[in-house]
Amino acid sequence: MGGYSFQAENVQICVIMVGLPARGKSLIAQKIVRYLTWLSIRAKCFNVGNYRRLETAHPTAEFFDVNNSEGERLRKMAAESAIRDMFRWFDHEQGVVGILDATNTTKSRRNWILELCRKRNVEPMFIESWCDDEDLIMQNIMDVKTTSPDYIGQDPERAALDFRNRIRNYEKVYETISERDLTYVKLINVGSQVIINRIQSYLESRIVYYLMNLHIKPRCIWLSRHGESAFNLTGKIGGDSDLSARGREYARQLPQLVKMSVGDRPLTVWTSTLKRTQQTAKYLPYRQLTWKALDELDAGQCDGLTYEEIESRYPDDFAARDENKYEYRYPGGESYRDVVVRLEPIIMELERQENIMIVTHQAVLRCIYAYFMNVSQDQSPWMEVPLHTLIKLEPKAYGTEVIRIKADIPAVSTYREKGQSAKIKK
Amino acid sequence: MISLSLDSSPSPSPSPTVSISSEDHDRPPSPMANAPSSFASSLSPPGLSTFHADLATSPITGGFASQMHLSPPSFTSPMRTQSVGSKYLRRQSSSVDEDAVHDALSPTHVSPAQLYSTESGRLFHAGKICIVLVGLPARGKTHLAVSLTRYLRWLGVKTHAFHLGDYRRVHIAPGTDVPDDYFLVNASPSTVILRQRVMAACKADVYRFFEEDRGQVAIYDAVNPTSAGRRVLVKEFSQRGIQTLFIESICDKPEIIEANVRSVKISSPDYIGWDEKEAIKHYLRRISDKIPHYETLDEPEFSYIKLYNAGERILLNNSRMGYLPNRIVFYLMNLHIKAGCVYFARAGKSTEQMPRYKSDPRLSDEGRTYARILTDTLLEHRRSEHTARVTHGDNSPERELIVWTSTRRRTIETSTEFEKRGFSCRQRPQLSQMHPGSCDGLSGKELEKQFPEEVELHKKDPYRHRFPRAESYHDLAVRLEPVILEMERIPNDILIIAHVSVLRVLYGYLMACSPFDIPALDFERNEIVEIIPSAYNNKVKRIKIYGVEESQTL
Repeated sequence: MGGYSFQAENVQICVIMVGLPARGKSLIAQKIVRYLTWLSIRAKCFNVGNYRRLETAHPTAEFFDVNNSEGERLRKMAAESAIRDMFRWFDHEQGVVGILDATNTTKSRRNWILELCRKRNVEPMFIESWCDDEDLIMQNIMDVKTTSPDYIGQDPERAALDFRNRIRNYEKVYETISERDLTYVKLINVGSQVIINRIQSYLESRIVYYLMNLHIKPRCIWLSRHGESAFNLTGKIGGDSDLSARGREYARQLPQLVKMSVGDRPLTVWTSTLKRTQQTAKYLPYRQLTWKALDELDAGQCDGLTYEEIESRYPDDFAARDENKYEYRYPGGESYRDVVVRLEPIIMELERQENIMIVTHQAVLRCIYAYFMNVSQDQSPWMEVPLHTLIKLEPKAYGTEVIRIKADIPAVSTYREKGQSAKIKK
Repeated sequence: MISLSLDSSPSPSPSPTVSISSEDHDRPPSPMANAPSSFASSLSPPGLSTFHADLATSPITGGFASQMHLSPPSFTSPMRTQSVGSKYLRRQSSSVDEDAVHDALSPTHVSPAQLYSTESGRLFHAGKICIVLVGLPARGKTHLAVSLTRYLRWLGVKTHAFHLGDYRRVHIAPGTDVPDDYFLVNASPSTVILRQRVMAACKADVYRFFEEDRGQVAIYDAVNPTSAGRRVLVKEFSQRGIQTLFIESICDKPEIIEANVRSVKISSPDYIGWDEKEAIKHYLRRISDKIPHYETLDEPEFSYIKLYNAGERILLNNSRMGYLPNRIVFYLMNLHIKAGCVYFARAGKSTEQMPRYKSDPRLSDEGRTYARILTDTLLEHRRSEHTARVTHGDNSPERELIVWTSTRRRTIETSTEFEKRGFSCRQRPQLSQMHPGSCDGLSGKELEKQFPEEVELHKKDPYRHRFPRAESYHDLAVRLEPVILEMERIPNDILIIAHVSVLRVLYGYLMACSPFDIPALDFERNEIVEIIPSAYNNKVKRIKIYGVEESQTL
């Protein structure tokens, strides 16, 4: 699927967010950037608010009144700066998808941006987030805006009130997208209805597809490797071995560890089809699903060997892997990139779901973690993800919070640094 | 009295129409029994020239293939079909040159682009889903059902389309029309009984598909004009644990409706000798007479997709059904009323006898000659086709041809003649050949010597097996998905010049081939393979290139 150079296609897309404040625009923009980057497509978000803040750090609601000509002028300047930076990024940094994150609530503003894009041969695509669910809006307001840089140091109650007034100013001039000849996606009440109009390219359809799978309900994702396995003990990679005694201990302690973190929330557990993950999850009192896509990276010919054996039997391969661990494919096996491709449906499904716990393997866990934490391709295959550790990810408005919960059960380290074969540490 | 059958689309039975290498239905089921001598030249990865010929008679692949082709009751004798309670009026294609999209899938079927399989056979833990199509005739519902089936099956979702029109035809004597009150709410008792019998037969097959064959998605292709009728369906399906997703096809552009009517409806015997415009008007009037009462989808509690003007606009309502509806919308965003043909051609011979992936060789002199002859042949073919169409009164403009090649030099060089003559040529990295890994440049014998176990494993599963460091056909299929979706999206005619491994996978998608057929498909240098899309079936034509001998090597 993704990850193959779209440059050869010469497609450049400007995604233009549309919607009142507190409609989740920035969240959507950030997520699109993260998703495309994970798929090796160059994407960047240009938040007009950030540019505006350089001039006007703590505006009150009146700043956003359309009759306030000074406010209008400063806001337009901010938009111009953001757009200028975006086109510069398209031209000089091989940008593929640029996202203009702002309210863009009037037809005239949208037309202005449209003209700029057409002159530069950049495909414009609008994404409108439309919401009239009071609870959702209020939640957004409380969650994000009171911690926004605009309101630092202010009493949250007053901040919320001021923010509501700001929204009211925008509402006065809001024109929802209705121009039938534009390329746009309208998300109504967080995807309960979606309107898709005149999609022009495959990449646009990928973005829309991703959007349709998102939701904003708060939830967490727990990641864990299987417990220590018999193969781990002997330093072998791959295989379908059982848990060791310590691994079984981890499996027994896991329910309590999970309960402390999850509380009473409903949870579903996903495992791979290999024995060691299923044995690890066996005592968890939640609904379980098995996914072949969560199976460990296939080491092909090296399956069942230790790193020392690999180094002595296939020294060129061993070195090549260190050179570019993300792209390197085991003879008869897979690369990290291959794993990302097969994980894409899992990621899509994860976006759709609520609380999920995934019991999986080292390489797969690294890829999933990289997606949520925006880890680059040269770093993700080298991340340390020790055994017997529960990782809790809490996606929030502007990033994901990570908490690592270590079970008090020792295990070998399967971590190997560049240029070394794994030394079994106790 | 003109007998108008509302679904007078050409009979879906596979008729080898224009195919030059047309297959006879009585021949033995294994497609690989077809011309084994040509395998030597059309193999991938490079170097496997000798042993693939064995596949033709391999007990493993040959045997399994014949399992997949179960003997069908003949479609042309409705009575027999009825009594056998047939495998949902299965049509049988026993040749890779016939679109297999209408064939029933065996319970153990594995799809070309299937990422993985689960025990229940149902992917993505999505449960059983019935897609109910809604829309007046000539809105492209059947085309939608067929395309969706092709795509979903490609992904590994066990899908089958059930066209109510087929069941209606079985219950009504051939040549007679549907009763005038067939679509009216307060029809006469005899009509109501007929209607119920037709629907019952169709639904019985749908349930059998879910329950006996572990089917995952059934597509119910019918008009479904009333809200009341739709509610009944949802309730009935829900009682059986089947979720319902509606897809309504709406056209508010008369040109699209007329184009549909022209291409599919008025080709029936009813309209022979009619003036085309009169025929279209007549047909449309009959529709509005027969179906006066049509209610567009509006039930907020239903999950539905409204498709406007074949994908210009899509509205998705209340989809809480998991991965599938979103995936379907994804496909629909890229699907258009596809009118363009796809041509497949190989690159010319290169300067290396056994072209190596790493060296990316250029065209030899012979290759350059081939490129010129290829260009002339294709353009001449298109000219004569166009002339033939005009003679038959079809004045539609010739569709523009675009050329896609990979980024490998010999494919690009093969396309330069086209470029010189002003055709748009585009290089796509996804069209690069299957990566040969450690087999790069090896001949069949060298391969057997260096990797004997791999060769054995490859014979057992030529589609999924990867040689060391190499890709498999399955990898290719997944890699080619963007190309496939873009092919669906573009209205032009497309010439694809690529390595034979890539041509096999693309052909496999368009003709709904099984994973067993794909690695053995035939692409000679002295032929251009043309695939002509039509509403119901994709058709194949092989265009001979004179002046080029059959290739012996890649």
